[in-house]
Amino acid sequence: MEESNWEPKVIGFLCHWCSYAGADLSGSARLEYPHNIRIIRIPCSGRVDPMFILRALQNGVDGVLVSGCHPGDCHYQSGNFHARRKFAVINRLLKYVGIEPERVQFSWVAASEGPKMAQVIKEFVEGVRKVGPNRLFKDEKKDGE
Amino acid sequence: MENRLKEEAGKLLKEGKVDYIVGYGKGTVNLRTSPLITNKEEDLEGLVINPFIANNLSRYPVELKGRVGIVVKGCDSRSLTSLMQDKKVKREDLIIFGIPCEGVVDLKKLAGQIGAEIDRVTDAEKEGENLTLQVDGSKKTIPFRDVIFDKCYGCEHPTPLEYDVLLGSEVTPNLDIEKSLEKIKALDDMDTPERWDYWKEQFSKCIRCYGCRNVCPACFCERCFVDVNMPQWVATYATWQDNLTFQLIRTLHVAGRCSDCGECERACPVGIPLRSLQRKMVEEVKDLFGHEVGIDKDAPPVFSHYEATDPDEFMK
Amino acid sequence: MGYKKIKKDQLKTLFNELSKDCSLFVPSGSKGYVGFDPWDGNSADFTEWYGNTTIPPKALFFPPVEAMLRFRKGEAGYEIEELLPNGRPQIVFGVRPCDARALKITDILFSDTYRDPYYLKRRENATIVGLACNEPCDTCFCTSLDISPGESQDVDLLCTDIGDELLMEAVSDKGEDLLSKMSGLSDASGEEESKAKQLGESAKEKITRQIDTSGLLDKMRSSFENREYWEDVSRKCMSCGICTYVCPTCHCFDICDENNKKDGKRVRNWDSCKFPLFTRMPMENPRHEKWRRIRQRYHHKFEYFQMNFEAIACTGCGRCIRECPVNVDVTEIIGGIQAL
Repeated sequence: MEESNWEPKVIGFLCHWCSYAGADLSGSARLEYPHNIRIIRIPCSGRVDPMFILRALQNGVDGVLVSGCHPGDCHYQSGNFHARRKFAVINRLLKYVGIEPERVQFSWVAASEGPKMAQVIKEFVEGVRKVGPNRLFKDEKKDGE
Repeated sequence: MENRLKEEAGKLLKEGKVDYIVGYGKGTVNLRTSPLITNKEEDLEGLVINPFIANNLSRYPVELKGRVGIVVKGCDSRSLTSLMQDKKVKREDLIIFGIPCEGVVDLKKLAGQIGAEIDRVTDAEKEGENLTLQVDGSKKTIPFRDVIFDKCYGCEHPTPLEYDVLLGSEVTPNLDIEKSLEKIKALDDMDTPERWDYWKEQFSKCIRCYGCRNVCPACFCERCFVDVNMPQWVATYATWQDNLTFQLIRTLHVAGRCSDCGECERACPVGIPLRSLQRKMVEEVKDLFGHEVGIDKDAPPVFSHYEATDPDEFMK
Repeated sequence: MGYKKIKKDQLKTLFNELSKDCSLFVPSGSKGYVGFDPWDGNSADFTEWYGNTTIPPKALFFPPVEAMLRFRKGEAGYEIEELLPNGRPQIVFGVRPCDARALKITDILFSDTYRDPYYLKRRENATIVGLACNEPCDTCFCTSLDISPGESQDVDLLCTDIGDELLMEAVSDKGEDLLSKMSGLSDASGEEESKAKQLGESAKEKITRQIDTSGLLDKMRSSFENREYWEDVSRKCMSCGICTYVCPTCHCFDICDENNKKDGKRVRNWDSCKFPLFTRMPMENPRHEKWRRIRQRYHHKFEYFQMNFEAIACTGCGRCIRECPVNVDVTEIIGGIQAL
């Protein structure tokens, strides 16, 4: 795609019980959020394997948003608490190796927070737009040659 | 020390209290030592303890069937404790010989210091604060602290925390954290794209021999995610992208389990500074959750529990 | 053509010239390990510090990863594009006699009933410039395998470091050809020739490590069922692939197809018999336990290869001993078999 009309493409891993419902709510409330996000529904934020994030970036998406229930609201009681520990280290590691912090974001959004979901997506997409297209894993060289 | 170890280990085998002794023997390469794993009493004569015992042996009891008498340094003992937390080994199956450790010689550093291949060194002995060497037939003395592994400068627990027999007297930590974290600091000081380019270049060298994973006591999965092919998370062949992804995920898997024993970096045949990843995560896990690896064998592994008060400010 | 010589400080000029119309590879330590890297015009001082590379020259002919072909689903079925090496001439400078022999050994395999076009094309296009060893490493045992550190018939051109100069001798026609194209050479004297011979002899004496190959084939065969022995020697092995990947003669590979929806490529990459998943792709790795995998490696090198091709697939370069994180030592293992 030409640099001038580049639009960020981001992936959202949203938990079924809160954030996905939150995104639904923002839709039914006719709130607008950028169409740049492709949403993948997951059972719980605890389901997010760091591999999901890295593979998405490796396959060329410009940003990854992970969102789940607020702490204490997890449908499975503690899934998001466990997830939070993982996210904390993933967040630190990705920054450390040189992935722009704007590309990967973790959020808590409840089912009732339609407006917040729209806001989170909007801000995230804007952040990604600012850092530009994801060229992290791009390579001019062909494999093995 | 060595004699006491031989004696005690011999007793254990004779009395049938353990099935194997896992310690260090003389290596077949100059200065190097090698893991000595045996169930035969006569082999115990070969046990050695010296400043070249680089290997972390704590991985072996996971694989060996039965009860094991094992020799550990400070860092190794914490790996072993971490394995107990993960229920990979049982404390009651182990007789632990602890070695209070003043640091282990990094042979690459030593070669650099003497400006010659290690092959030229025929003998080396630690005498007080110095290492006395025979290089090409002539005597050479260098400060011991100049040639130990970077990890050793940052070692807060040089005396094993968990042991049955302590060989020698406790060693007080001799810390030089700054020196231990020098390479990490240098990376922290780079800007974001520079850091990415750095790792990209490093992982272009990787040949996927899996030395790092296979020597790591914290890598105990029965089937590693890179060996899983449905779905195939990373390609079986080496490209820098997949090499880096592999190592990043491995880093996350061993975070909170890594005792900074530095085996991954030592094993790497192409010289990727893997410790700069692993040790960084040791710092991060400590900073985030106050968790130090391998301190309390009864504590749960860091990622199998949580606190309601865990850091949250990065969540948006 | 006789012996020629070149001053070491002229090497840089020579390399710059040679690299004009071919790819020139020289030993380099710039990446944090020693390997054959494309000549970068910087420093030609490897003769001063270079023992041997960590990654053997096999990687230049049988690369760790290579795309073999590309495929695309078109209107009338699959279109296939073979990705053969580009055919640019290569010069590999500074190959040690053990590694030169190793290439001859892998040549046998890759030009057997199936002739491997990828490997062979690269080999045909390459001129191997050897560099005799004056200071063998502590891990070397090439003399046990009929290799001399000071001479080689397996290279095209052999250099010997005689102090300020490199002595050069053409061994093959290719080497003769290359020698005639080099500028800055002068004739070597008989004295210098004998100095090179002397250096070779003294290098030979410096090698103390050895294996005994006499009667080894039978010993290997009878060791096969000796489970206790193999369990003992394999106990410390970590099952990584370091020894096989740094080995100049190990040649096992895996092939996989990487496809997107409509196109993809077939990739060949190094594989190792030390991995539990080795040969898993057709069905199953029959060697579940570690000791069976270790046994396989040594039996392949010292028995099967010898039965099939009348050569031992080991050249005594010592890399596996040097690079093994737990110091598994092939000379110990073979010594143990001889003593059984």
